[in-house]
Amino acid sequence: MADHSSFRRHPHPFSVDLVRWLPTFGSTGRLLAAAVHDPAASSSHIHLLSVSDPSTPLTSLPLPSRATALRCSPSVLAAATTSGSLHLLPSSFDTDSAVSVPSGALFHVGPVRGLDCGGGTGGEEWVTAGEDGRVHVVAGGGDGRVVARRVWEGKGMVGYQAARWASPAEFATGGAGCGVQWWDRRKGDAVVVQCKGIWGHGIVTGMVHSIDIHPSRKHICVVGGSSGTIFAWDLRWPQQPIPLSGVGLDGTAQPVCESEVWEVLFDNYTQSSDIISSASTRILPVMMCSEDGILAVVEQDERPLELLVEPCAINSFDIDPHNPSDVVCALEWESIGVLARGRDTMADE
Amino acid sequence: MPGVPTDGGAVGTVVPFSREPGDAVAAPPVRTIRHGVAPPVSRVYVSFSSGNLLQVACLGPPIPEGGGGRGAQEVAVGRVVEVNLGGGGSGPGGADVEEEIDEAEMRRIQYGSVPAFALLQSRKNALADAAAMSRVPSVSEHAEWWQYVLEYSKTIGSLLGNPDSLPAFMIDDPKTILKDREKPTSLKASWELLEIFFVDKQLKSWLPERFVDWLADYDSLLTKTENTVYRTLTNFQKKLINLQIVEDDPDYWNGLAAALSVGWLDIVVNMLRFHGSYQLDQMDNRETENGLVEAVAVLVSTMPRMRPDLPTGKLGHCCKTRPDFIKALEKWRGQVNKLECSAFWIQCGHQKTRDGLKNLLHIMLGNIKNLTAATSHWLELFASHFLYIRPFTVGFEGMNHLAQKCIQLKPSTDNSGLTGLLGGILSENPEVVLAECTKSFGPWMVTHAMELLTADNDYADMMLHEERPNIGGISLEELHRLVYAQVLCSHSLTWQIAPTYLSSCLNQGLGLLEILLLKQPIQDNRLVLKTLEICRLYELGNVSTNIMKIGGIYHWKHGRKGTGVYWFQQAHDKVRLDRIALQLFENIGKSVTDDSFKVVLSSFTGTEISRGPFSRHKKEGLVSLLGKQWNFSYS
Repeated sequence: MADHSSFRRHPHPFSVDLVRWLPTFGSTGRLLAAAVHDPAASSSHIHLLSVSDPSTPLTSLPLPSRATALRCSPSVLAAATTSGSLHLLPSSFDTDSAVSVPSGALFHVGPVRGLDCGGGTGGEEWVTAGEDGRVHVVAGGGDGRVVARRVWEGKGMVGYQAARWASPAEFATGGAGCGVQWWDRRKGDAVVVQCKGIWGHGIVTGMVHSIDIHPSRKHICVVGGSSGTIFAWDLRWPQQPIPLSGVGLDGTAQPVCESEVWEVLFDNYTQSSDIISSASTRILPVMMCSEDGILAVVEQDERPLELLVEPCAINSFDIDPHNPSDVVCALEWESIGVLARGRDTMADE
Repeated sequence: MPGVPTDGGAVGTVVPFSREPGDAVAAPPVRTIRHGVAPPVSRVYVSFSSGNLLQVACLGPPIPEGGGGRGAQEVAVGRVVEVNLGGGGSGPGGADVEEEIDEAEMRRIQYGSVPAFALLQSRKNALADAAAMSRVPSVSEHAEWWQYVLEYSKTIGSLLGNPDSLPAFMIDDPKTILKDREKPTSLKASWELLEIFFVDKQLKSWLPERFVDWLADYDSLLTKTENTVYRTLTNFQKKLINLQIVEDDPDYWNGLAAALSVGWLDIVVNMLRFHGSYQLDQMDNRETENGLVEAVAVLVSTMPRMRPDLPTGKLGHCCKTRPDFIKALEKWRGQVNKLECSAFWIQCGHQKTRDGLKNLLHIMLGNIKNLTAATSHWLELFASHFLYIRPFTVGFEGMNHLAQKCIQLKPSTDNSGLTGLLGGILSENPEVVLAECTKSFGPWMVTHAMELLTADNDYADMMLHEERPNIGGISLEELHRLVYAQVLCSHSLTWQIAPTYLSSCLNQGLGLLEILLLKQPIQDNRLVLKTLEICRLYELGNVSTNIMKIGGIYHWKHGRKGTGVYWFQQAHDKVRLDRIALQLFENIGKSVTDDSFKVVLSSFTGTEISRGPFSRHKKEGLVSLLGKQWNFSYS
């Protein structure tokens, strides 16, 4: 049974750092948000693009420095930068009504790579975690203002690289050399559980680049990091992370890649091969992109399914929440790729 | 490295830049740098960073002890400024290319050529390894080599097209002479020229016809200043809208003759149908005239061509073998002669039609005078020889001789770009070919075209691979690749593809690669990881350790202690980790209640540390854990 997937590569000038699907629809179809950086002019922007023609931006929002994190909620697009500022744009894309939290002593200094939406009572609170070791929760003040509350001041002792909400009161972070941490706001804004992770043979520690938590299994995180490492962390057994892919791990399938795993996301489209007993014990399929140009779906104890093998790095990707067969990715060589997966063979059975 | 000033009194001597009066060289541009350091600036350090960035560190005199009272403004004691010297420098394209292809497009071509180049190099290495092991020169493998190069050439050629320039919706105007096509670029034209003459062995027998096809695609690019067949036709096309009686205009007949002489048969037949005698109200009066025009059109469309097939829409009678062609040509020429001598010409009323059609017939018979008059540029005359006078010209010597003759008949002052390239190819001079590529098409072209030149040419192969002492013992091939790699390194978007080219340079490639990697900025962790990935791919362990150590110190000094320790751990830097452990150890001894220290300790040891002061039990546990991690013993 042939896989009717199609992949289109669209050239997009200058470095495309991050790319995300937008929840709103434009007049010509789906919309994308891309964080773009022009090194010659030292300028950075968030571009709003249409999927049918991603090479020409529809609107753009200028940023003070290079974007390091990008995330969409149903009503707001947020971008965090390398200088430590946060910018929130409403879904109407009226660039005049963009709100920002400037970098500095009250917020972050340095790159903010952990950014996620989903906390608080309405699910509209943002968590930011930066390389300066600080963690903030940012909420709308109601009258157009945003208020950033400091949850943690690490004083640089830890550098955070990723953050993800699990529930309105809990979130996970990961960083350089410190593994992953689980925070609970109900227990006084503190780390309640942490884990160093499982990094492969001979490697003591690594850098966490991305965390994802499945909306229906909130006790399981999947973590992607350096040296091709992907592992799952089940909070019920906090010191026994489950390796999904990595260099030199015994007992798991061949590692899908050997370089940095930049992003991981749970993949709703790929049916788990073990549908019957998929309750709680198995880790659901996870999609990853890596520095050596691989976009693949990894499953526990299964051979990884390679969707793309590119000659250049894939820096970022996103799965369309409305239509999980579509994946957009940001390629190192100044282009954006759109992959439309065909009918999966397993879905027919 | 800065040195101690030898003469204490003459600190900061400025040596003036002397310029002879009347010197032809212009004064170098002077730039002011705003550094914000209060004068006097005691020291200035200058060094090049990645690409065109110059880093200038300006340091003021050290603040004396106890100076700077309470509430004093923070005066910058020193500052590092980055100056971007780029803009207007030499890009990867040469003179011709920069006008036609913009930077983003050129980068797209550069990215796309990397996999093709890498594949060809790995195939070359595989062949060399096999040959070294078996010690028997494999004839079949060498014979196949040109096929690999052809595949490489086609891959890169497909990158050079410009599909966006086609208009989306075209109305087919019956009165168009020249159809709208993809806009040609001289880069693609020169690439195809090299492919035709150096690589494609299947073409050997019908190389003349292939050249005629090439000229049809790229005639518009031959020269900017002089006239060409393409220009003649476009000018006439503009006139055509306002023209009532087409056949009265001499430009109509000149255009027909020009198009016929370079073999654009479909255009000739199309244009003949514009003749007034085809109009319905004229048909009865001008029957003979119309008959003659139609007869010429039929003859043109059945012209024998020495080639296996024709693309759709093109006219002519294809002959695959020489005897077939000679027979067809004789028959066809007989028909042309018969028409020329027929009695109908006397009955033809229109003078201009008579002369014009007869001119076309003489061209078809291969009359050199008519051909020379019809064509505008020596390349077009050259192509017309292949069609009408000497269709069996093969071999570079014959073609070169013919080219010289054409140049004498139609001298041209504009000899650069494509015409210069063709001159170098025909005179079998790879040095001239390379020089022309460098001047007009830039380092990208030279680096990738060298593979085409050496596909089947022993002399070129030897010339490019010979190690030359006057350029430091490296070969010309390596020199050109290094130049291209340096162009790539100068732009922060393309530096990551430079290692592919540097690794193919056997003498100095690896050294330059190490320098390139060490010069990359380490402020951004992502960029450091990309740099380290390249080190891993090329097995440069020392370089990656150095980069990690530098990154560690940078983050430690700027307050990001956790990230700093991470990099030291990655670099297995025992010296610094031991020093850090000692510091932390002393802090534990002082019964630390600072929560942030606990966080870092807990993160390094992987255990949970609750709030509150350390218990003695926990302290001992931590000591043992730290000791295990860093081999540090505390007695």
